[in-house]
Amino acid sequence: MGALSDLKVIEWGEFISGPYCGKLLADLGAEVVKVEKPGYGDRSRSYGPFPQDLPHTEKSGLYLYLNTNKLGVTLNWASVTGAEILKELVTQADILIENHSPREVEELGFDYRTLSKAHPGLVMTSITPFGQSGPYHDYKACDLVSFHVSGLAHMNPSGGVDDIQEEPPLRGKSLQADFLAGLSGAIATMSAVFARHATGQGRHVDLSQHEALASVIRRDLGAATYEGLERIRVKGAQPSTETLLGQCRDGQFFVVCNTDRFWANWVEVMGNPEWAASELFQDRAARRENWDAAKIMIEEWAKDQSLGELVRAAQARRVPCMPVNTVKESTNSEQLAARNYFAEVDREEVGRVRFPGAPYKLSQTPWQVQRPAPLLGEHNEEVLCGRLGYSRQDLAVMRAEGVI
Amino acid sequence: MQELPLEGIRVADFCHVWAGPHVTQWLAVMGAEVIKIESHLRPDLTRSFFAGGKTLMPGLNQSVDFAVLNYTKKGCTINMTLPRGIELVKEIIKLSDVVTENFGGPVMERWGLGYPDLKKLRADIILYSGSGFGRTGPYKEFPAYAPIIDAFAGLTSLNGYAGGGPVPFGVGGWTDLTAAQHGAFAILAALHHRFRTGEGQHIDLSMSEVGCAFLPDAIMDYTMNDRVQRPQGNRDIAMAPHGCYRCQGEDNWVTIAVSTDEEWEALCHAMGDPEWADDERFRDGLSRWTNQEELDRLIQGWTSNYTDWQAAVLLQEAGVMAGPTLSPQAVVQDRHLAERGFFIDMDHPEMGKVRLPRLPLNMNHSPFGKYEHAPSIGEHNDYVFRELLKMPEEEIARLQEEQVIF
Repeated sequence: MGALSDLKVIEWGEFISGPYCGKLLADLGAEVVKVEKPGYGDRSRSYGPFPQDLPHTEKSGLYLYLNTNKLGVTLNWASVTGAEILKELVTQADILIENHSPREVEELGFDYRTLSKAHPGLVMTSITPFGQSGPYHDYKACDLVSFHVSGLAHMNPSGGVDDIQEEPPLRGKSLQADFLAGLSGAIATMSAVFARHATGQGRHVDLSQHEALASVIRRDLGAATYEGLERIRVKGAQPSTETLLGQCRDGQFFVVCNTDRFWANWVEVMGNPEWAASELFQDRAARRENWDAAKIMIEEWAKDQSLGELVRAAQARRVPCMPVNTVKESTNSEQLAARNYFAEVDREEVGRVRFPGAPYKLSQTPWQVQRPAPLLGEHNEEVLCGRLGYSRQDLAVMRAEGVI
Repeated sequence: MQELPLEGIRVADFCHVWAGPHVTQWLAVMGAEVIKIESHLRPDLTRSFFAGGKTLMPGLNQSVDFAVLNYTKKGCTINMTLPRGIELVKEIIKLSDVVTENFGGPVMERWGLGYPDLKKLRADIILYSGSGFGRTGPYKEFPAYAPIIDAFAGLTSLNGYAGGGPVPFGVGGWTDLTAAQHGAFAILAALHHRFRTGEGQHIDLSMSEVGCAFLPDAIMDYTMNDRVQRPQGNRDIAMAPHGCYRCQGEDNWVTIAVSTDEEWEALCHAMGDPEWADDERFRDGLSRWTNQEELDRLIQGWTSNYTDWQAAVLLQEAGVMAGPTLSPQAVVQDRHLAERGFFIDMDHPEMGKVRLPRLPLNMNHSPFGKYEHAPSIGEHNDYVFRELLKMPEEEIARLQEEQVIF
């Protein structure tokens, strides 16, 4: 039995932010019905990765990961019948998750005011780049734009760049901002579910990706408002982190030396070189002052070392140190294997797929895979006939008319 | 007046530094009574942090780093090195629904407060344990530093300029707070389950497993195709133009992303239909992607004539995804966030007026949640020991003298 197995969710969303919110609920047992456009479906179906790089609407890795544990129906919600069906499904559900533009939602008549009239207990979670209100609420955005406008790209890479005119602020790994919006949306959704306990009254949850991202850099925003800190991207303008991304002869490592104990132990790992005894590195204040010099000396030593030996020696002395793994090393990591972290799921059309599993372990109601991501329209009959009472002939007509 | 969703829920909170406290911050703002248990022997580390790089703060109650993660919580002090201290904590736990901790090793077990012990105090207790790598496995006691976790999970290897090597992911707090949010969600799910069944449970959250949860595309390219992806910078696997373009002024940048032919046409038109836009090399999505280096140079030729906001607004009005790149100090001045009430003024007894970001919680057109100043160390000792535990004055005084309440 899943922790959320009494919850019925309609997921009317695309790509990542809506679907990751739905995934978090589905993976803990909520029944999530995913509504897609007939024909192409969710655009994550065309994102990939694909086995052998051959695009196929049922073989996209991103889609398969995000939509495990969900039922799938197709609906042309712009058609009269399609809209009616979607509304009917929503009336039977506890939660509606959507990530369309506020304008489109209003135009289609799926705004919270309309839906809640028929269903006052509805929790509707709307995930958008800038929220339902405010001067930017009609602005269009994607992961790149959101990451940059919320202050995060300005901070990347850590420590700044050599040339602020040539090296732009950096988003880094793609898709992170979209995942975060889905994650914050899931917490906000549950908070509305709890709020509903007392009165039975639903809520419109307005999740702004912009706010979700800004919330993550709250420490830097607090420093700006309270300490007047003005961050600049020039290398050396930030206080030293006393860390290093270093190069060995066969790979890269990251080490943290920001306490006296870590530094002393790291010096041992390096074989107690004479230079480390210099007063330039005698305490934290001195090391922060002279960290660039320390890095040069450390890198000079590290370039001849074996990555595996260096990391083992550091970890044995409890110095925070890891190899800079690619996904190959992390996927094959003994720690993740010991945790049974990766999920392996058999799925029609694509065969066996392996992807990240539970981001948390719950002792009584564990995360689990109950069904693979749905084929496009896979549960049309089960949902539309089984629950809404349409006949199979109705479905045939709807299919012919492009409603499903 | 909106009811707070977690009113009536109490949390005995041992979390410290960043990842842990952000979990209980969500719970507190949602109305739970979060009792943060510290000690003068071991105050939360962030009480001593000053963002400017210094590590010494006057006193323990002036750090904005602490405040921004611990507002709305109640603070008490209990010396856990003394058996009587542990007894006091057990009394608090008996009255609590959730216990939260993010220690780097089996500290709770050492105190006789591991999950099986807690269940004896309260059968339906929910225990949240956050850590860098989980409470099991060979790395279970490795320290949870964000850049170490990023390196381990593969995020660092994917962070860098297109065609370049890995660089440390500079978004301070990303790894800690995304892990924390998964933790908050898991606690809410556990509370929901308990609400229906009366059953508590133990939540074991690993920051590194959260990190991998956001990398499925890269991980599956490896598991499906044996391919190891490299940094893409501000680029996209399919969209072009898609990047960060220099604008007029120092360190002034705009991001632009085009996902359809319609958006491409809108962009060209907004740029005044330059001749180069008709070039064969940019005729469709695939050609634009193939020739994006040249395309980016040409677009930057246009953006350089405008400031970031000028370019962004012009493009948004044309229906193109675009936005300025803002620094944290610019974000706190942002008018959209101001209108949304994203920054809240709280009056703190020692810090004075503190303006801090709230959580992204909005219900029915308004910000939502309980926002009160972060606790001074031991600020709510009176409440916890006198009102909650109903201890007599003399006993409280004695325990203070004996440095149990300390």
